[in-house]
Amino acid sequence: MELTLFIIVGAIAVVSAVLMLISQNAVHSALFLVLNFACIAFFYLMLSAAFLAMVQIVVYAGAIMVLFLFVIMLLGAERVLPEPHPRFPWLVPVAVVLALVFLIVVSLAVIQGEVDLSERAASEPYIRVVNAVDQLEEADVYLDGEQIASGLGYGEAGEFATWERGRYEVELFEAGADPETETPLATAKVDLNQGEAISFTAVGTRADPRLVIANEDLTGSDRSDALLVTVVNGVRSAPMIDVVRGTEASESAVLIDDLAYGAASNPTTITAGSTDLSVFSEGVRRDRLVTFEDRELTAEQGQLWVFATRYQDDNSFEDVFLALETNELPAFGSPASIGLALFARYALPMEMVALVLLVAMVGALIFTKDMIGTRRRVGRRLANPPAELQAPITPETAGHTSIEG
Amino acid sequence: MQPPEVATELYVLLSAILFILGALGVLLRRNAILVFMSIELMLNAANLALAAFARQWGNLDGQVLVFFVMTIAAAEVAVGLALIVAIFRTKKSTSIDDLHLFKH
Repeated sequence: MELTLFIIVGAIAVVSAVLMLISQNAVHSALFLVLNFACIAFFYLMLSAAFLAMVQIVVYAGAIMVLFLFVIMLLGAERVLPEPHPRFPWLVPVAVVLALVFLIVVSLAVIQGEVDLSERAASEPYIRVVNAVDQLEEADVYLDGEQIASGLGYGEAGEFATWERGRYEVELFEAGADPETETPLATAKVDLNQGEAISFTAVGTRADPRLVIANEDLTGSDRSDALLVTVVNGVRSAPMIDVVRGTEASESAVLIDDLAYGAASNPTTITAGSTDLSVFSEGVRRDRLVTFEDRELTAEQGQLWVFATRYQDDNSFEDVFLALETNELPAFGSPASIGLALFARYALPMEMVALVLLVAMVGALIFTKDMIGTRRRVGRRLANPPAELQAPITPETAGHTSIEG
Repeated sequence: MQPPEVATELYVLLSAILFILGALGVLLRRNAILVFMSIELMLNAANLALAAFARQWGNLDGQVLVFFVMTIAAAEVAVGLALIVAIFRTKKSTSIDDLHLFKH
């Protein structure tokens, strides 16, 4: 289906380009070029470059081609007649031969060249820190000596940030501690790979915290009515938990099965909507630990769930359910992703392009300024001259009524 | 991620064909405006290849480059068309064969 569309639109693009080359009327050429640009905008859509498709239509097919048509009509250069005596009669066969040779070389390079095009790389890994350690009100986290979170409060999550790929050691400290001298509260080793999004989730108590490496998925669920959820078990008293939709532990309602303490689940697709969530203890006896009622789950808004307990002043434990939002990354090629790239990595090139545009504008002004200097001086009446100018032209007033225009 | 139905090679081939048609236009047409349009066609062919490779590698840099090429093309068209208009004022022609300065 997609291939058929590609062939049809590709044929239209090539035919319109050929017609642009051979038509004898420059206006027709410009219109065929607009058709060609529209085809290329369609290809941009097929290549998941939605933003470029829109810019192609607006800037190329719109603004630039209108400029072309304007100049063609301004100069009255629509009729392009073939020259009776071409200055370089050998140019036509040479150009055609050169073009064919180039086409053959490119085709050979594309077909025969054994370039590995199978691998499709993704972006740099994303990391963030989540603090769910009982009685640790503020946490600092270091990644190989570099601070990635400072003073992170209980139940808070840091922002996702990109990090270099590689193997790192994560260290959890109390806020304000010196990582050089003091020993960390908890450590973990982690491999950061391309395309991953890792939440370093600290769970447990202040005396015995644990760093959980929760691997999230920022690309979002395939379904529009679902969300991706990663679950971290931070309930010390339960070595294994099941997370269940509703209050009954029937097999069909189980969302997450057998999650050990200090472990994180894989990203799981969960249908959105308002629902009760229950946590069951798995193992020797199967009983319900707690139910969290009427949780709102928004579609396409990924979440990281951390189940934990919190020590209360009256010697009891409170069940804690932290649902941390995971914003999905803007889709590949969308305006948001291009805008992010332009403002983050390409801010300086963007400025330089703006400067080039400014120079181009000044250049165009200078060229047209020359034209004003060579304009003929004409003497004629305005269409509706003011009353004092409507007097019959006499030899005395003739000098005043001629108006330059 | 499942492989796309239309391979990147096909896009590169189409882009090469469009580029060649643009190059032929630059070489064969004698009208300055048509030469300019052919250059736009060549720029677009290159853009198509860039967007295809951007999808191939899952990397946005190619698409950002396409955006820059479009911006530069807009600047180039503004200056180029102003040049053509200025030359038309003196030579009364848009044929690039009339642009020689040293003969008669």
